[in-house]
Amino acid sequence: MKQNQTKAWLFLAPTLFFVTFFSIYPILRAFVMSFQSGSLISLSWNGLGNYQYIFSDPEFWLAIKNTLLYALISVPVALAISVMLAWLIFSKVKHKSLFETTFFMPYVTSTIAIGIVFRYIFNGEYGMLNFILRAFHLPAPNWIDDPSMSLTTIILFGIWTSLAFNIVILMGALRNIDPNYYTIADMYGANSREKFWRITMPQLVPTLAFLLTMNIIAAFKIYTSVYALFNGQAGVGNSASTAVFYIYNKFQIVGTPGVAMAATVVLFLIILFVTFLQRKMMKKIGGQ
Amino acid sequence: MKKFRIGVIVAYLILAIFAIITVYPFIYMILGGLMSFQETTKIPPTLWPSKPQWSNYARVFAQAPFARYFFNTLLTASVTTIVSLFNSLLGAFAMVNLRFKGKGIVQVVLLSLLMVPGEAIIFTNYNTIAQLGLLNTYIGLVLPFLTSIFYMYYLQSYFGSISPTIYKASMIDGASDWEYIWKILVPMSRGGLFTVGLLSFISGWNSFLWPLLVTNEDSMRLLNNGLTAFASDAGSETQLQLAAATLTVLPILILYFIFRKQIIRGVVRNDLKG
Amino acid sequence: MNNEKFVEVKNLRKVYDNGYEAIKNVSFSVKKGDLVCLLGPSGCGKTTILNMLAGLLFPTSGDILFDGKSVVKTEPKDRQIGYVFQNYALYPHMTVLQNVMFPLTVGKNKKSKEEAEKVARKYMDLTQITEFANQKPGSLSGGQQQRVAIARALVQEPKILLMDEPLSNLDARLRLKIREEIRALVKKVGITTLFVTHDQEEALSIGDEIILFNDGVIQQDDLGQNFYLEPNNYFVANFVGNPVIDNFKVEIKDGKVIGSDFELNLDDFDNSRFKREISDGQYILSVRPENIQPDENGHFEAEIKDVELIGRERILKFDHEAVQTRSLVNLEVPIKAGDKVALKMRLDRVFLFTPEGERVY
Repeated sequence: MKQNQTKAWLFLAPTLFFVTFFSIYPILRAFVMSFQSGSLISLSWNGLGNYQYIFSDPEFWLAIKNTLLYALISVPVALAISVMLAWLIFSKVKHKSLFETTFFMPYVTSTIAIGIVFRYIFNGEYGMLNFILRAFHLPAPNWIDDPSMSLTTIILFGIWTSLAFNIVILMGALRNIDPNYYTIADMYGANSREKFWRITMPQLVPTLAFLLTMNIIAAFKIYTSVYALFNGQAGVGNSASTAVFYIYNKFQIVGTPGVAMAATVVLFLIILFVTFLQRKMMKKIGGQ
Repeated sequence: MKKFRIGVIVAYLILAIFAIITVYPFIYMILGGLMSFQETTKIPPTLWPSKPQWSNYARVFAQAPFARYFFNTLLTASVTTIVSLFNSLLGAFAMVNLRFKGKGIVQVVLLSLLMVPGEAIIFTNYNTIAQLGLLNTYIGLVLPFLTSIFYMYYLQSYFGSISPTIYKASMIDGASDWEYIWKILVPMSRGGLFTVGLLSFISGWNSFLWPLLVTNEDSMRLLNNGLTAFASDAGSETQLQLAAATLTVLPILILYFIFRKQIIRGVVRNDLKG
Repeated sequence: MNNEKFVEVKNLRKVYDNGYEAIKNVSFSVKKGDLVCLLGPSGCGKTTILNMLAGLLFPTSGDILFDGKSVVKTEPKDRQIGYVFQNYALYPHMTVLQNVMFPLTVGKNKKSKEEAEKVARKYMDLTQITEFANQKPGSLSGGQQQRVAIARALVQEPKILLMDEPLSNLDARLRLKIREEIRALVKKVGITTLFVTHDQEEALSIGDEIILFNDGVIQQDDLGQNFYLEPNNYFVANFVGNPVIDNFKVEIKDGKVIGSDFELNLDDFDNSRFKREISDGQYILSVRPENIQPDENGHFEAEIKDVELIGRERILKFDHEAVQTRSLVNLEVPIKAGDKVALKMRLDRVFLFTPEGERVY
């Protein structure tokens, strides 16, 4: 049995090695650095200075505001659309897997590449979106170049990218609902709407709670899609700066890693809090 | 009966609209990459290139080392996939089949690390790689991703669904743990390992922020970074940007269409752990 | 060679990490070539013992000897055992032949491919699975999978065969057939076998000897018929026997055995069967249903509630002190539900237990 012990640690060794150096160590290091100032090669103790700095930095608050707005708008809207589409695929149509395959495409493709494509779809002059809007005599704003539109543009793109994962997970959950529930409901003469609200929705609650938190966490980490849409910028005049943009900027461009790490710790705590809420919520749902 | 049919028609209509919204960017990307500059910026927008401009691709390859980007991406995505799969496989085996002191602690630590967002550690990891002098190297590109707690956790649940008596039987049959892993566990979990491999390869292919941090030499760039750099350099040459984007997306899209079942199943299984 | 105690278990104890004591000081031995059944209700610890014998579990204390040598520190693969699992644990991705060959293709006992196949084929012939050689286990019936598992367990020519509920996944009819086959097979091979089961009938039919467990303790280690005729204690008497034994609460006072509606003279009991001097007090009188028979001079009278036919016999069911009680009678006895019948117990066949379960008669 002694031998078994050594063996187990040997099998785990590569994983534990990489985890220690590239997961545990960087967390601790980030935490320590958030209390230090100076450049990467000459760090010195700075107490809570970095935290004081970010909390009084309007750029930080703009980034947080944008991130929050993005999360609070794009997540529920995307989730609502996803539920509708998943339910329609599941209950109304044949060719379920055709639709599923189609809707899942954005999940596997590079956000950068598709973001570049969207840059042209959103183009104020010759973009497809404005062409359609004009055809319906609707206002056709300058999605990319107007700072006041940047956040809206990101939200629209965010919804487009997050439908894929949501729909596939919801389809999985819908397939797991015992079909006998619907058979019994049919026997009692329930109509389609009643079946959706009385059977499907309650059964989907755990999945929705899961997707809600997963999406919110992902929304807090938004970076790549902004980078792609605005060609490496956070929108015109930094109008669409997000938390990770702020961190990247402070770390790599401005060269104040301490400030970047303080912002990282704040972001980390927010995400931890959301995860914690999810756990609580899941337990409550599970307990019922 | 009539009401029912209208419902179905409305359903198809809504799904068709959203399907077009989903697919259109891909079609526009592929077709736009074959248009002339005038066609891509025409008002109203054109959908079909009057004459496919294959020369766009020649120009993309001439203006930026896309072949090199391809090679870099293929290499790093393959290496991270194979090595991390190997490491996760061994780790998951130990966690599922072996009994040892400290297993509970290891499990708790790994599960908590699962909640740490990659963005929170990527910058300090950059720092580590920089200190090791590994910026602009292949090792630097792959090193932090040579194991994956997430895939290990996934494999753990996969291996856990194999009856524990199979492992006991192999012990009595005289197989060593190494023989058990390669002769029984791996062949029995082929589907799961394949799915994990696919998902890992796709996320490696699409990685962006990490290679952006640790490479600045053009010859070390990966596709996505090469693509953004190219998009800035190519400026207003829309058709070239779309062609370059097609180059980046198409391989994965083909992989996806071949293995869509495994990929979708894998993602659903991955994330319903609750 | 230690033929009398080929397998010997000494003061074996197992406490799980969570503090649960599954095995409490168990000792027994098995003769070479015998087929011994470890019998007991689920959770009694019988599989725990088998796993310790196989080396899959490490005992908390005590010793296990195979052929006189302690094997507690020996790895499972070096113990020269074969093991048949309840769910067979066949490797689903290998063919039947590959499954049976597997033990010969791994580890220290690795043989050449030709030799391994030759040995494997020999045991496949013996278990009559040659025709399925190239099929995957998934395509076989339960009984066929069972045989593959046995062939795989025997292919290393182990000294001891351990079987954990090998028949519980089969349907009733197949179970009868396969258990005969197993007995014939292990006798033919001459291998010492320990066979775990919760089914008393299976144990009685297949075992040369039976060890009955409950609560991590051996209740009785004996020949099959003795569990029936001479149970060690109240648990054994109630566990073995179908239909189950009838129990009556009685008080012994002044040489009389007093039940709720009967009174027996202690003098009418067989003196030679008393285990010890008995004092006055509360006891349990247990009688096998076939030892309660309708008789004009019955000890008590009861109204038959129901009559159940089981093959050549019938069970008369009646309530005694609100507990269902049974009498097993010949098919021809003309009694039907609703009849009032006088019933008599064969006092030379009944048992007396203390409330703690100790047998005194």
